[in-house]
Amino acid sequence: MNKRSLSKLLALLFAFALVAAACGGSSDADGETTDTTAGETETDTDEPIAAGEEAEGDVDTEVEEIEGERSYGGSIAVGLEAEAVGLRPWEDTCSSPCYNMMITVFDKLTDQALDGTYQPYLFETLEANEDFTEWVGVLRSGVTFHNGVELTAQSIADMFPIQQEGAAGAGGLSAANIIDVQATGDLEVTYTLSQSNSALPATLARAPVGMVFEAGAAAADPDGSANEPVGTGPFMIESRDLDNETIVVRNDNYWGVDPEGNQLPFLDQISFRPIPDEGTRLDALLSGTVDVFQTLRQGTIRDGRAARDGGEDIVMVEFQGNNVGGGMFNVLVPPFDDVRVRRGLTQMNSQENVIEALGGTGISLPGTQWFSPDSPWYSEKVAAAWPSFDFEAGSATLQEYIDDPERSDGKAPGESIEVELSCPPDPSLIAAMQVLEQTWTASGVVDVNLTNYDQQTHINYALGAENGFVGEHGAHCWRFSSDSDPASDINPGFAPPTAEIAEAAGIPDVVSPLNFANYFDGEVFGAAVAALQTDDFDERYALYESIMLKIAEDVPIWYSGHTATAFGTNPAVMGLTGWHLPSGDIGIGIPAVEGRWHEVWLSN
Amino acid sequence: MTALDAQTDSISITDDDAPAERQGSTPIERPKRATPLQVFREMPIVIKLSTIWLLLVFGGAIYAKIDTVLLNDALPLQNPNLQTNNFNPATGEFGDGEPNESWSSAHWLGTDTIARDTFARIVHGAWVSLIIAMVSAGFGVVVGGFFGSLVGFVRGRTETVTMAAMDVILAFPALILLLAMVSIFEVRSLTVIALVIGFLSIPAYTRVARAGSLAVSQREFVLAARAIGTKPMKILFREVIPNVLPTVLSYAMVAGAFVIVVEGSLSFLGLSVQLPTATWGNMINQARGNLKVNFAQVFWPSMALVLTVLSLNSVGDWLQKRAAHRGSAL
Repeated sequence: MNKRSLSKLLALLFAFALVAAACGGSSDADGETTDTTAGETETDTDEPIAAGEEAEGDVDTEVEEIEGERSYGGSIAVGLEAEAVGLRPWEDTCSSPCYNMMITVFDKLTDQALDGTYQPYLFETLEANEDFTEWVGVLRSGVTFHNGVELTAQSIADMFPIQQEGAAGAGGLSAANIIDVQATGDLEVTYTLSQSNSALPATLARAPVGMVFEAGAAAADPDGSANEPVGTGPFMIESRDLDNETIVVRNDNYWGVDPEGNQLPFLDQISFRPIPDEGTRLDALLSGTVDVFQTLRQGTIRDGRAARDGGEDIVMVEFQGNNVGGGMFNVLVPPFDDVRVRRGLTQMNSQENVIEALGGTGISLPGTQWFSPDSPWYSEKVAAAWPSFDFEAGSATLQEYIDDPERSDGKAPGESIEVELSCPPDPSLIAAMQVLEQTWTASGVVDVNLTNYDQQTHINYALGAENGFVGEHGAHCWRFSSDSDPASDINPGFAPPTAEIAEAAGIPDVVSPLNFANYFDGEVFGAAVAALQTDDFDERYALYESIMLKIAEDVPIWYSGHTATAFGTNPAVMGLTGWHLPSGDIGIGIPAVEGRWHEVWLSN
Repeated sequence: MTALDAQTDSISITDDDAPAERQGSTPIERPKRATPLQVFREMPIVIKLSTIWLLLVFGGAIYAKIDTVLLNDALPLQNPNLQTNNFNPATGEFGDGEPNESWSSAHWLGTDTIARDTFARIVHGAWVSLIIAMVSAGFGVVVGGFFGSLVGFVRGRTETVTMAAMDVILAFPALILLLAMVSIFEVRSLTVIALVIGFLSIPAYTRVARAGSLAVSQREFVLAARAIGTKPMKILFREVIPNVLPTVLSYAMVAGAFVIVVEGSLSFLGLSVQLPTATWGNMINQARGNLKVNFAQVFWPSMALVLTVLSLNSVGDWLQKRAAHRGSAL
């Protein structure tokens, strides 16, 4: 045998040896996982859960006062799931990773307390007139921007025209009905609204309208502001190397103090690093490359927990928010324009199996509405009304449509329904969509075509800017809701999706491209508008409950499970959760794994 | 008979019709064609192992297809798409299978994230690799082989134009071009993917065949055939192509390995055949999110891919050497 043949033989033998090694090695690993999974599936979801109570079977949100001596100094590295294209609140659409960076540079006018209510932040007070069409806020004094400019009411008024022109800001202003912002005193700002909006404080707690930037710097260099934004926040941009690292350093002139009177922030520096792959991000924490990593994936939370329970020295800071996964039917497109099809398919959605495919067993509970059981907005009535898994009933409902000579898809009675189910190409979503595909196909009356497009294409298909916002989607994976005020998601989500529908409804000026399911119902929209005309919780609760009940009846969307999110941290990193508002009250924690970094410190 | 005729006949080892008495007073004994078993015995051990693996993959793929298409899953191989923990309308209950199960007698290589049998998916996944490799080889050998042989033989403007066209296709990065073509076709059926990859394989085969044809066209027996006025097309099909073919066929093995990897890449990117059809690439892609929980589910399809590619390369190399050896004997 010559050398070359010998080397090939060795290569083959090595390959076969690897096979043998895998046979031996997989047994233990798999066995452990199976045991864990089996234990965690024992969740009785038939038991009603009271609103606002900590539910069993999902992650426990622990937002509480953190004990311990605060210390100054040190730096941390944070692994984020993506890079932020830009850091301009008025221009750049911001998701969780970007928000983590922006919040270090910009303060917001309001923020959310642990009970979900909104409190002033850069504002000291914020009050509305009787019909919520005019809001007056008074800024706190002695605040300066990073470039030394003093924060005044005029600073907020000067932001308005820039926000009006901004891609993100314009949408935010419009959704909040804001038509004018004036400085009515040195520190007094008046917002004028076109219609009532009792949820304006929620708008002022989000990036596009609520984050305060120095308008002079933004106007002088709009493009440069994407990488060198100027705010009043606890940190200032030091350097920004796109797709590699963004470094922020301590703002020594920061106005904030914690309830003990300690000057904020504690850290000298934070380095944000985009690490798109979930496994790599967790590994980065385990190897010490980063001190904190974020995840919105249940499977990664599971892996992080397993690493921690396996002896790795990490802490999982978990948060069960209102965000819920699932998908939507494009109700303007046959056969989804018929409620029988939507209901039938929803009844054949085995949520437990979908959650298991997503890696969320023991981490997420099946969704029945836009609010998680931990939320004060959660409704047991809605949970009971939601069409749960019933294969026979689902098949029968579909059969009714199939046998209908007037069926909307134009096919002959008896022919199968064609469903295009599309999800972004994430492995866990691919697994989840195949679970749905098997159950739907098993009915024998549905032909499912599975497609995956990258995230941006997936969103564009649902947006449908090129076909009057009808969209090019059928059954489309999606996430719904957030921990903001319900109005933030519900009002744009159920407003008329097209100009034709708005006109037919007698509200030609109200069109929302963010109604991706294209579901419009006069009652639902009416209730959503009414909920903006009062700040009484009970009244609003009843209105949102009525909306969710109608959704359970018309099923334009389906659910998998509520989305759990988490930061995995080095145990030395303290104070990520349990941060405070200026009033001294504890803040909401880390919804959508958006941290507040001003009270983070490193323990000894 | 002229001396030239005698030479042409004696070196044309593929010509079975030449009577022995035409060889003159000392007839040359024609080499006997080796049987497959003899060829197998000739192989070094590593090539034997590779061949056995390829036969297993080929046999498994055919077996799986027959089971699904002709016998309605009657053979003892599980349905590759059956989620053993999902609702079963026949029983009216959820199955008792477990996701990410370890290997067992019920599931030889365990189960994946949604409790499907991994062994069945690997065997069925072989079908996709097999079809892709065979279609691309078919396209390459037939179309590329013919064009390469033709332009290497006739030369001139035909060669210039053909090779320029091939160079244009080759100039595109193959994977990018594939992504674009798959996106344009949108329907991700096995036929479309195979045809696209087959089309992109043509230039490489054309180059290999042209190189062979250029050499063969200058050989004495071809010159002799020209000299006695044999029609060019007859020379092409009787003298050139038969001598170029062994090289092209052995190249097909190596190229087959390459296209299997390309298909794996497409699958990994979610751009190959429609889900839930199993391919080794999409099995790896779907299991990568679960790497820490169930490494075996990435490992098994990866090994199938590695072993198949390694085997095709080994056997292809060996056949190329064998073809070169035979060619030098002409």
